[in-house]
Amino acid sequence: MKALLNRWSFWCLLAIILLALFGAGLFDGPPEREVASAFSKPLWLDRTLPPGMELRLGQSAPAAELDWNHGAPAGFSVKISGGESNPDRYVRWTTPDGKSFNLSPLRRGAEVDGRDISFKRSLGLPPFGDAAAALFPAKGAYRAEITGEGDWEGEVVIRMEGGRWGLLGTDQRGRDIAALFVAGIRVSLLVGIFATLIATFLGATLGLAAGYLGGWVDAVIMRGVDLLLSIPLLPILMALAALWGKGLWQLILILSVFSWMGSARTIRALTLSLRDAQYIEDLRGIGAPSGYILRRHLLPETLPVLLASMTLGVPGAILSEAWLSFLGLSDPRVISWGRMLHEAQSFGAFTAGAWWMLLPPGLGIALLCLVFLDLGKYLEERIDPRLRGGTAP
Amino acid sequence: MKGYWARRTGSALLILGLVLVLNFMLFRMMPGDPVASIIDPNFSPEAKARLSQVYGLDKPLPVQFWRYVKSTLSFDFGISFLTGRPVMEELRSRLPNTVTLLGTSLLLSALLGTWLGMKAALRRGSFLEKCILWSGAVSFSFPSFFVQLTLLMAFAAALPVFPLRGTLSVPPPAGGMALLADYLWHMALPVFSLALLGFGGWALYVRNLMVKILGEDFILLARARGLPQRNIVMGHAFRTLLPTLLTIFLLSLPGIVSGAVITETVFSLHGVGRFLLEAVTGHDYPAAGASFFLLALLTVSCNLLSDLLYGVTDPRVRMERGGRR
Repeated sequence: MKALLNRWSFWCLLAIILLALFGAGLFDGPPEREVASAFSKPLWLDRTLPPGMELRLGQSAPAAELDWNHGAPAGFSVKISGGESNPDRYVRWTTPDGKSFNLSPLRRGAEVDGRDISFKRSLGLPPFGDAAAALFPAKGAYRAEITGEGDWEGEVVIRMEGGRWGLLGTDQRGRDIAALFVAGIRVSLLVGIFATLIATFLGATLGLAAGYLGGWVDAVIMRGVDLLLSIPLLPILMALAALWGKGLWQLILILSVFSWMGSARTIRALTLSLRDAQYIEDLRGIGAPSGYILRRHLLPETLPVLLASMTLGVPGAILSEAWLSFLGLSDPRVISWGRMLHEAQSFGAFTAGAWWMLLPPGLGIALLCLVFLDLGKYLEERIDPRLRGGTAP
Repeated sequence: MKGYWARRTGSALLILGLVLVLNFMLFRMMPGDPVASIIDPNFSPEAKARLSQVYGLDKPLPVQFWRYVKSTLSFDFGISFLTGRPVMEELRSRLPNTVTLLGTSLLLSALLGTWLGMKAALRRGSFLEKCILWSGAVSFSFPSFFVQLTLLMAFAAALPVFPLRGTLSVPPPAGGMALLADYLWHMALPVFSLALLGFGGWALYVRNLMVKILGEDFILLARARGLPQRNIVMGHAFRTLLPTLLTIFLLSLPGIVSGAVITETVFSLHGVGRFLLEAVTGHDYPAAGASFFLLALLTVSCNLLSDLLYGVTDPRVRMERGGRR
């Protein structure tokens, strides 16, 4: 037990589980919330980029000055709230080189974004690209004011999106990658642990039955193992994920149905060797029923091996889930690490050069797998001390 | 000898039959109306019925099954629902790319892995051995597509050394040599990444086997006879290892099909793996069924071949009653 406390993987797993349970509290709002502009870099990555900023105009402060010392912001939007609509009054934007733009008439609840084509047309800009580039041509003093005739009560919020946000930046929809990463732990852990639990249960039952009963039961089960082992795993998982729907529990079931073969073989071999042991013969001799022998003597004997093979099986399930999600065969509403990588590939992380979308989920999967591999190795060494002393990492 | 071969062949045929049944059932149970994906939902019911008739979907299931078995065994997989062209034609245009990709990378990783594994086994405790052990663990835990995406990000997006996607440039260059060069340029990163992902496992495997064999009595005897080290390693230890390695090589062939699906998706290659993915997600029964059948055929024949080869190279196997145990 003390050796377990010396394992890095034990502490790592503990930290991961704690993060999965309580990590959501580190962020305000759900992980699906859009917090900043798309593909914002992590805060620590590039200090020259502009930070996110807001200007508020209203009746009490109809004009505001802004000293801008960066390149164009990643996004630009104007939001009008409160007050009656007054199309004669509008928001005027003056750049340091003396140009001015009428951003928007004061229509109640109006929202314009630098990417809207109609907004760019109304400013006399080409319909391509982001209006922010034209609205921020140089460094210097900018001025925003409410001009025109008549009374107006309400508020105008002009928002400049910064190019950097949070610990790990944002994805193609402006969601916080750190929050998504923490939300993704849960799926990997759930799938990894439950799929292997069910698979090991199936494998143990069938392996015990095949090994102890022998005869046609053994033949049927082992033919089944051969059949399942001779079908390439990923294609069949793909077909079943498309067939049974994309829910998380369906996925867990599919994975477990196709990964019990290894533990069944191990347990069968172990049972075969135990079946003819003297004490089992003796038990049979005094009339112990098969169910009793299996339950009270054979199962406990195989339990440590089962535990180790289960721990070593978890990475396989985690990787399979990641594969399927990466191929787009998972529930799009469920955030998982594989899904994050899928979105990174399909929604332009490459053209944006957004490597921060790639590394967190990928390294997360790898770390979780390494943790379970190390724990499995620890358990194997406990069972068979001969393995100790550096045969495999 | 004859009995062993007959037994293995029989069990391979049985598995192939089961695969046929499974294949048929699997795609008939898929949700989603296949006809809906190729025609406009506003078509009249008569037009829909007519299309169902053209594709034979209106017949009872047993008739469909019989037709399916007949056509599959003659490699006539029908017409793809999605592209409207014969499935076999679609597959034929994609197969060379997949074979090149998988063949080259498997060969590379097997050769490199075997070589490094042998070196590691001969130098226990060295830095090289530690590297091999770690690279094995890494190749078992890093998702392949993550490694490939990272390579793509580094060598195609950040440093534009290799192309971002595709099997050939658009438009393809004129002239035989230029075309070949363009093809190799596009295939370099996929092949390299697959080889990189594969060699760790090989090295680990070869190392473990080799360490075991080097501890055997007959190696001790060879040393006692004063044979040169080279002779012991290549002539005795490696020769003993060879049948196992051959088997592993053959058995790993079907498994790398998963690698094809992932790699071709990541690098947008025109290959069978991506075709399979598109067929499965697009309810393209004929195309998906054909891909599955070919995969299963590949798997079963590799299994059979490895069994038979093992029987040839290791006489103990075919003496044993009841095949493998």
